[in-house]
Amino acid sequence: MHSIKLDLSIAAPGILLLLIAFVLPVTGILVLGIENAEGSFTSAHLVKFLTDPFYLAIAWRTVKLSLIITAICFIAGFPLAYIMARGGPKLRLWLLIVITLPLMTSVVVRTFGWMVILGRGGLVPQALNMLGLVNRNFTLMQTETAIVVGMVQVLFPFMVLSILGVVTKIDRRLEEAARVMGCSFIQAMRSVVLPLAMPGVVAGSLLVFTLSASYFITPTLLGGTRLPVLASSIYETATKTLDWHFAAAQSIVLLIGVLALLVPYTRLSGKANG
Amino acid sequence: MVKGIPVSIKFFAVAYVAAIILFLIGPLVVVAGVSFTAGDYVTFPPQGTSLRWYEAIVTSPVYLDAAWTSLKLAVLVTISATVIGAAMAIVIHRQRLPGTTFIGGMFLAPLVLPTIVFALGLLIAWSSYWGATSLLTLWIGHTVIAIPYVIRTTLAVLATSDKFLEEAGRTLGAGPWKAIFYVVLPQAMQGIAAGAFFAFNISFDEAILSLFLRSPEIMTLPIQIYTQLEFSPDPSIAAASTLMILLTVIMILIIDRLFGIQRVAG
Repeated sequence: MHSIKLDLSIAAPGILLLLIAFVLPVTGILVLGIENAEGSFTSAHLVKFLTDPFYLAIAWRTVKLSLIITAICFIAGFPLAYIMARGGPKLRLWLLIVITLPLMTSVVVRTFGWMVILGRGGLVPQALNMLGLVNRNFTLMQTETAIVVGMVQVLFPFMVLSILGVVTKIDRRLEEAARVMGCSFIQAMRSVVLPLAMPGVVAGSLLVFTLSASYFITPTLLGGTRLPVLASSIYETATKTLDWHFAAAQSIVLLIGVLALLVPYTRLSGKANG
Repeated sequence: MVKGIPVSIKFFAVAYVAAIILFLIGPLVVVAGVSFTAGDYVTFPPQGTSLRWYEAIVTSPVYLDAAWTSLKLAVLVTISATVIGAAMAIVIHRQRLPGTTFIGGMFLAPLVLPTIVFALGLLIAWSSYWGATSLLTLWIGHTVIAIPYVIRTTLAVLATSDKFLEEAGRTLGAGPWKAIFYVVLPQAMQGIAAGAFFAFNISFDEAILSLFLRSPEIMTLPIQIYTQLEFSPDPSIAAASTLMILLTVIMILIIDRLFGIQRVAG
């Protein structure tokens, strides 16, 4: 009994902070999104979002880009995770540092780098120009391609780390057995490693998808205002038009989408780590 | 006989790893390159080399103010997030409080819940109860999102610590608080310290909460950069960004020394 009191007094400040500064504001959003100016229930804001073609286009762009980003992260991330898992400790350490660096750098700094590379006169447009594919004034800025490129750099580490956690636990002898029985390297990958790594792949994909649906700084800076995604639309609504009810309703849509994917994620990552 | 991995695949693997490294690090190198330009425009490769843009930011009151705000905020967040996070980690680790698993889950929620929803909620809640946002608002917001990192690093260290040492301390006559301060905390120190550096880094680099809660009083460095990116990018942004990258590199190396970057990933 005594020890419970002690633990409670240690935990009290943290719990209080979480309730007031996190649970309360987030609950506030949920209420505000389904409330009218008089404070009674209305689904008008949600209906507005779900019926207006402008906002539906935003929702579709968000889903589409998140899917593309997730697919690229998987295709590019799986081999790296495998190499990290099977490579020496030194290689693994260096690659970990390489992936952690963009993860821990400020999003504005990373995005600025892409603006220089993809913008008019940047390295990529110049290279394409030299190949004779585009003219001198070509720019990749304000395109969905730019958004995808910038976001993949940010979210790639999450995918690699998720897969890495599972691949390190796969018994090497299973692969060896497959090879002994006549599988080629690629076949062993496809029929042994990939299926066993599936929990990591799915967990990583869910994480990358939800994160890419909720980022707005990279899409806003690289895609511009003509290519809004759900998160940037929330930001615009909240800070430019100051329609808090509608911003909250859009947040509810985002939240429902994210939670629908996060529930299986926590199950899977719990399994993968357990 | 089983053949090794075919040479063609090994060759492909090396090229692929090189491409990935280029993709991840390239943009940061480009930013650093731009910062040393002698020209007036953001171009890569830079035109000539000079330190004029570094000189420009260290003499610019706007950048100095922003850096000072960011530093002040990051230090405050480091203190609050580390104290609360370490305390929560100890309680979660002991599992004596009813509902500890639930509490632990709640504290990790800011990691997975979209920050934008939390940012909007905090903005609206703060504006309707207390009025204009201030450094205090941002301090609280950053603390909430930094706490999970401290909890995770501290828990990771506590999981490998000897739980009988605390009992031994108690048996030898230490009171419950004394046992925590002299036995449990020193054991968890490595994780707490790594968490503290994480907290600093998160607050110093954070832009989402800072953008939502933005007011003239809390113009942090990332917000200053963001604002300039939207309107008139010049190489001074690159100089400020390069210094931020440098700080991040130092943080990663410290965390690796203290805690091992491998465990952060796990």
